[in-house]
Amino acid sequence: MLPDIENAARESLSAVLDPAVEPEDLDLDADMTGTYGLTSLNKVLFLTEVCEATDVDLAHFTEHDLAEMRTLRSVAESLSRHTKKVA
Amino acid sequence: MNYHSVINQIVSTPPLGGRISFSRLDGTETMALPELYEQAGRLARRLRARGVGPGDRIGILAANGPEWVLLDLAALRLKAETAGLEPGKFAPSAELMARYDIKLLFTDRPTDAPGTVPIGEVRTLAAEPEDPAETTPLPPVEWAPRDVTTIKFTSGSTGTPKGLGATVGSIDSSLAAVQEIFEHKPGDDLFVFLPLSLLQQRYWIYSALVHGHDVTVSSYEAAFAALRRAKPTVVMGVPAFYETARRQIEARVRRSGGPATAGEAARQLFGDRIRYLWTGSAPADAAMLRFFTDAGLPIFEGYGLNETCIVTKNHPGAHKVGSVGKVLSGKEVLVDEDGVVSVRSDHPVNYHYAYAEPGASERMFAPDGTVRTGDLGYLDEDGFLFIRGRADDVIVLDNGKKIVVRPIEESMRTSPAIAECVLFCPSQTDLVAVVSPASVPADLDAIAAQLARTNATSEADEKISRVVVADAPFSIDNGLLTSQYKPKRQQILAAHHARIHDSKEGIHAA
Repeated sequence: MLPDIENAARESLSAVLDPAVEPEDLDLDADMTGTYGLTSLNKVLFLTEVCEATDVDLAHFTEHDLAEMRTLRSVAESLSRHTKKVA
Repeated sequence: MNYHSVINQIVSTPPLGGRISFSRLDGTETMALPELYEQAGRLARRLRARGVGPGDRIGILAANGPEWVLLDLAALRLKAETAGLEPGKFAPSAELMARYDIKLLFTDRPTDAPGTVPIGEVRTLAAEPEDPAETTPLPPVEWAPRDVTTIKFTSGSTGTPKGLGATVGSIDSSLAAVQEIFEHKPGDDLFVFLPLSLLQQRYWIYSALVHGHDVTVSSYEAAFAALRRAKPTVVMGVPAFYETARRQIEARVRRSGGPATAGEAARQLFGDRIRYLWTGSAPADAAMLRFFTDAGLPIFEGYGLNETCIVTKNHPGAHKVGSVGKVLSGKEVLVDEDGVVSVRSDHPVNYHYAYAEPGASERMFAPDGTVRTGDLGYLDEDGFLFIRGRADDVIVLDNGKKIVVRPIEESMRTSPAIAECVLFCPSQTDLVAVVSPASVPADLDAIAAQLARTNATSEADEKISRVVVADAPFSIDNGLLTSQYKPKRQQILAAHHARIHDSKEGIHAA
């Protein structure tokens, strides 16, 4: 997992939580739905935003892949596999 | 004499123009509407060869995509019915097919149940014919106003979903009334991302076929990515979607180097061609509606139930803040002495459920198809409808005072610390709120402060005595929200029964 990607994922998730949990306070291994009340729509928005922020094409993922991303760590690791940016 | 209708037009007349785009995470496929019509015709001929004909019912249990649209249009061409089954709510099985009298079930879910067809086969069936014999024209069909084209399912809070047949007359009437006030036309692109199993989402495809505008159908997961690509003129959404978008817009404006105004940020999210945003299905917060209107994206709320279709709608020519709009052509709103709203239609959606527990149809439908909505409301002097809450959300206290809980719950929800609030009256004398916190751990100080603010503006009988804060936010997953993000009162009561009835529990009013 690339540190830049992890930071971007933390910031993008923090931005969609209401009220926001600070990026550094987010637990990488927590279930985003159960722990942070992430709704399905917010999850879609969060993943769209983090892909844009990290220059990862959302088209690398299928609808099924998104459903399988349940923790911040799984998001960051999935993005790390496809990033074009150098950490 | 022929009954002229949108449905009959789209089965008998190829569209002249317009495009349909299907967006998924991996990209967008665009098809001219005349090509869609051709493909639906080929699919219909091949389904007919498989024995599907008038009166048969095919089930569609799949995510949004071209296959869904082709099957729906092919069924209309054959005068067959569809049953739109939302993935996640239903799973493919022989029992499901038997329960809803489904002859063939097309699905994108893994299954080996007899009678199911992988949805991937649809594109093959709709492809160019190789055998000239397959080009034989379909027999002409004509839909009568009371014919049923599709079964829609209620997202009820308990038990087996009720099934309701939607009549052609009600579809035609609703589409005509909406067209009268919004005038969708070539140049428009209507954006749909909610499940096509909801009949109203398919309305915008029917509208495109008749009025020649474009329509973009997105998978739910690709909604925000597809919005940027499609740059639609109209978005068909629900309050939860716009609340999510609003928070994102506000976050972007706060970001250093981000857009300077909410309007600019909104155009980044929705594209720069928005003519208006449509919201329905659940009550919208006034603050959210004002936010988008102030950002230069007019948003129009309406009112309707599965059983009534669209009854009222704010629109560019007539809108009033706080209302759900004026009554559409072909509908009549009746308010009884208790303030309960009923809806009479020139063309009712139906007169009874097709599938429901005994007595359910009689409770909802009068013999003439008039629907008892169970909502409390009133019409103002200009004919705008205002909805105050559910009749069954009225709590009658021991002193006979009737408390309409929704305004009190809405007041509590103005706190950013509170996602949802539901009121109960365990002892017939005092009100106890169950709050779904907006964050975990809950901000108890902020919730207590909001309790004090709400009580300060309430009449004596309407003051909340205690607030029970749920350990985990209400969600669809934990069964405390409907798929439309509405709180399920009975389930919330059951889940918090002990704490609601324990007078020592919760945050007490000062």
